[in-house]
Amino acid sequence: MTGDTHYDLEILAELAEDLLDAGTAQRVREHLAVCDPCGELLADLAAVREVLAATPTPAMPMGVALRVDKALAAEAESRRSGGLGLVETPDWDELMRDAPWERQAEPSRAEAQPEQPVRLGVVAEDGSVVPARRSSRRSAQRRRWAMPAIAAAAAVAVVGTAVTATSLLVAGGDDQSGAPTVALPVESSAASSAQEEPSRSPARALAYNVTNSDHNYSNHELRMPLEDLLGPAPAMQGTDPSGVDQVAKCVSAVSKRSGLEVFAVDQGQYNGQEALVVASWKQRAAQTVRVDVVDPFNCKNLRKPALGRW
Amino acid sequence: MNSPPETPSSAERPAVTDAELLTAHINGDPHAFSDIVKRHRDRMWAVALRTLGDPDEAADAVQDAFVSAYRKAATFRGEAAVTTWLHRIVVNACLDRMRRKSVRPVADDELIEAAERETPMPDQTLEREVSMEVSAALKLLPGDQRAALVLVDMMGYSVEDAAQVLQVPSGTVKSRCARGRAKLAPILSHLRNRSEANRVSSAKGAELRDG
Repeated sequence: MTGDTHYDLEILAELAEDLLDAGTAQRVREHLAVCDPCGELLADLAAVREVLAATPTPAMPMGVALRVDKALAAEAESRRSGGLGLVETPDWDELMRDAPWERQAEPSRAEAQPEQPVRLGVVAEDGSVVPARRSSRRSAQRRRWAMPAIAAAAAVAVVGTAVTATSLLVAGGDDQSGAPTVALPVESSAASSAQEEPSRSPARALAYNVTNSDHNYSNHELRMPLEDLLGPAPAMQGTDPSGVDQVAKCVSAVSKRSGLEVFAVDQGQYNGQEALVVASWKQRAAQTVRVDVVDPFNCKNLRKPALGRW
Repeated sequence: MNSPPETPSSAERPAVTDAELLTAHINGDPHAFSDIVKRHRDRMWAVALRTLGDPDEAADAVQDAFVSAYRKAATFRGEAAVTTWLHRIVVNACLDRMRRKSVRPVADDELIEAAERETPMPDQTLEREVSMEVSAALKLLPGDQRAALVLVDMMGYSVEDAAQVLQVPSGTVKSRCARGRAKLAPILSHLRNRSEANRVSSAKGAELRDG
């Protein structure tokens, strides 16, 4: 309060916030009714609120957003290697980045793959097991994660298109001669009965094209124009509905993460692991696509989403 | 004006709630936390930028805050909205930063002088001018008043929501706002008078202008 007659800004601001006791508030109001200078101060206070409210609040600049993402990725990484207790699906791309086989092993694998007559990791009709083809160099890190992958496979039945007996994941085995350790046969009747009714194929109703090449993708290949890879693959049909649902679930998860429209999905493998390759239009006119490689069980990224060409 | 922190900044409410995402993060989903960040980073940025008044400082504070939230996720008890919790971490990161730089409260006449010193170049647009002036003025308030004014007057949160974020009683928020506004009034009235020809920001001003 300044002098006996006028009130200072703080009292007036407290009046506006209803913080004064009833008696004081009454006296200040009576004074305001007859005092122009104090009325002007009150208007100044109101103007403060208006000016503050009208001040624009800009969105986070891209550079800051990237910085935050990077810091969080580093945090996640240190947590993983520090073993601080979070059970996380490994980020293959992080784990395997700069690993020698990412580059050197690719050419031979890429060439060998298309000729392969039988699905990888499959129990053939005669009951024999065809081991998944794997790079002969295998990291200890990666083997560590084989068990959770098997557990996931047990929970979700994935049925192939051409082969009657179905799903198998192989763990361990440092090279192709290594004995497969686990086979998870899934009832084949579902597959064959579904095959007889291709008209029921739910894929036709989808906004995106689902194929089932069972191709074993490498990072190298995913950098090349994808239409050649995804385009010619047989359309998925007669597949177990749960498989289709699973694809739909992952498509929706990917689309939610990226905010882009998924237009093509291929069921295949990524470096020997079952994977869905999900393509979304980044810029359709420029034929640029975002490529997500996710595991078909939990829809988690097996590598960092990347830009590619169609 | 009164959008509570619980309201997502995007127009449509997402199918997965923040709490679900946080739980997924605690359970090891490596993407859940970045979804939370994407949802709220613009708000957090605005709070930090306005509270600290400096983009570099704000970037550091927001980064610290998100990393800290990432680490502390398991301690989130669900007694408040996730957004309230995030705001709290961001505001605390800002206040920490201010304290470390030992910003002292300044006297009123000092405030006015400083605001005049930092008066922006005249060739800038009025909006930017106002924005810079507001930033400069806010910077001269004590941290607790600044944080309260940013949340209530700038971000438009209710006093109750701001009280939750700041973990003080509503009355304390009101009194911090009142004291902060009282300090800003002489500075921003200078702004208001200066721009009166172009822009009238109060009924009283309109009265003055229209005779």
